[in-house]
Amino acid sequence: MSKKRKISSSLGLLPMYLFTLVFVLGPLIFMIALSFFEQDGWSYRAVFTLDNYKNALTGTYLEILFSSLRLAVISTAAVIILGYPFGLCTAFLPKRMQKFIMTTQMIPYWVNSLLRLYGWIIIFRANGLLDKLLMWLGITEEPLRLLYTYPAVVVGMIYVLIPFMFASVYQVAERLDTSLIEAARDLGASPIRAFLSVTLPLTLPGLKTGIIHTFIPSMGLFFIADILGGNKIVLTGSLINDLLNKAHDQPQAAALASVMMVLTAAICILLLRRAKYER
Amino acid sequence: MKNQLKRIVCLLLCLVMATSALMLSGCKKKNGEVLNLYTWAGMFPDEVIREFEKETGITVNYVNFDSDETMLQKLQAAGGGEYDLIIADDYIIEVAIAEGLVQKLDKSKIPSLGNVNPIYQGQFFDPTDEYTVPYGAGVQTIVYNPAKVDIEINGYEDLWNYDLEDRLGIIDNYRVMMGMSLKTFGFSYNTTDAEELMEAGAHLMELAPMIRLIKNDNLQDDLLSGEIDAAIMYTSQVTMAKMADPSLEVVFPEEGIGFGIMAMFVPSEAPNSEAAHKFIEFILQPERSAKCFEYLGYYCTNSAAEQYISEEYRSFLTLPAELKREDMEMIQNVDSVTDESHLKYWTAFKNFCD
Repeated sequence: MSKKRKISSSLGLLPMYLFTLVFVLGPLIFMIALSFFEQDGWSYRAVFTLDNYKNALTGTYLEILFSSLRLAVISTAAVIILGYPFGLCTAFLPKRMQKFIMTTQMIPYWVNSLLRLYGWIIIFRANGLLDKLLMWLGITEEPLRLLYTYPAVVVGMIYVLIPFMFASVYQVAERLDTSLIEAARDLGASPIRAFLSVTLPLTLPGLKTGIIHTFIPSMGLFFIADILGGNKIVLTGSLINDLLNKAHDQPQAAALASVMMVLTAAICILLLRRAKYER
Repeated sequence: MKNQLKRIVCLLLCLVMATSALMLSGCKKKNGEVLNLYTWAGMFPDEVIREFEKETGITVNYVNFDSDETMLQKLQAAGGGEYDLIIADDYIIEVAIAEGLVQKLDKSKIPSLGNVNPIYQGQFFDPTDEYTVPYGAGVQTIVYNPAKVDIEINGYEDLWNYDLEDRLGIIDNYRVMMGMSLKTFGFSYNTTDAEELMEAGAHLMELAPMIRLIKNDNLQDDLLSGEIDAAIMYTSQVTMAKMADPSLEVVFPEEGIGFGIMAMFVPSEAPNSEAAHKFIEFILQPERSAKCFEYLGYYCTNSAAEQYISEEYRSFLTLPAELKREDMEMIQNVDSVTDESHLKYWTAFKNFCD
């Protein structure tokens, strides 16, 4: 009976396997193959070449890769600094408050993230909400030029990514056995010591998942740099977009995408492997 | 057992959904004559479409695309059929004609063809005017706010001025912007000379400190809100900016201008090419045409219509009389090596802006 069941349930999963093979693995293999092809007009020719990778890893395109990495690192760091304490503290609040905070985190997701970013334009633009507030408080005297700057992009990135960090830290912190912290304190550890030797190691898996969930998307969220940064910060994502839609160079775009995929996969593996050892 | 039953029901429901979707898509209005018009959204005022339907009894099925590339893909997939009349940009029409997806026009059915301004005819995408009828042209011009900009701007080269530091907005189109840099040296937009391209790329880099914003959509809003004080814009944006603030200054760069033409064509396997010809003739009528261009906000390609364009629009919907054909050059498709270096210089420039 149990064997029969196993077979029937794996048969039930068959469509999913097929779906994954056809729609996930298939395009991936196609993309990797494409990255070794030659461009031919608006299409490609199946002739092996390494030029696309040579292009991707030298000169301008390499610089773009670095500037993408830079923005991703800055945003992820900011999200850790803001999101980790937020998730941790929420877990220590009364249950009702926790529910309330979770709801406030969820509600904005009912609105498309692109639309929410346009909200930031209203805040940042010349004579916008922030300018008016600062001038009303007497901190500044004339409108600042906040929109279309690097900090505006970083704020946008933090805004979009922080819920991922919050959720993963909160999930782990919620299951944290508080008696362990109390024990550490009873045994004479200072609050900082107790945090470093008990709370932090126990919530580290959540922090790591959070990093993966923020770092990887932040490599690809080029529309934030477009909308809030006035297109002046070029990310690999927007370069791939330009290559596909304007230059019609599919192989070069595929090569850049492959490089990015390898890079993010390497970061993922690095983070996850460390986590395994700790257990 | 119960679970299995559930599963079967689920599967059946999925099947029902899939088949009904297929059947619905197969359903189309069969009664009456239809013109399948395929173009961007907002190319004609509603009243003109309705007038055509009333006059001819042909129903207009207006289908939108958002980019020329999408249009070409769909047209390729349909083998030149499905649509009766398409309006798209010059460079993509060149490709479509080369692929045999466009049919020659029957000029005997379009007696008003002579209304078209000859300056827009005989261009690279259709040198003998056998396939297309122009409908609207775009020119990239400089627009600035004279209340805030103290320097005199007569051409592209004047933008390389630190008085404009962090105050200039440009469109996100590397052929247009690289083209501007090429023009400051007097080179062609379509040069394939690597040295000329390199020179233009290096010169463009020097413009980086002036750039505050690079974007394609609604650049005029940023000029109007004071986020930028000068800009290089598409015609439709210039029209909107001028309508909102007539004090803005529009400059035809002395280095010469680049322009793009939108044109109507009939696909090779159009189901109702008769209706398409009727529609072209209908649109070419001067008064109606003027109404269309005022609505569209692009340069009027119809000479006969110019006199009907109202005073407030005329200055930016018709070309200055002294402008000669030699001053105008069209951006054309270039080989992939040249295109690649355009994109590289442009990407390096954008990255240097911040």
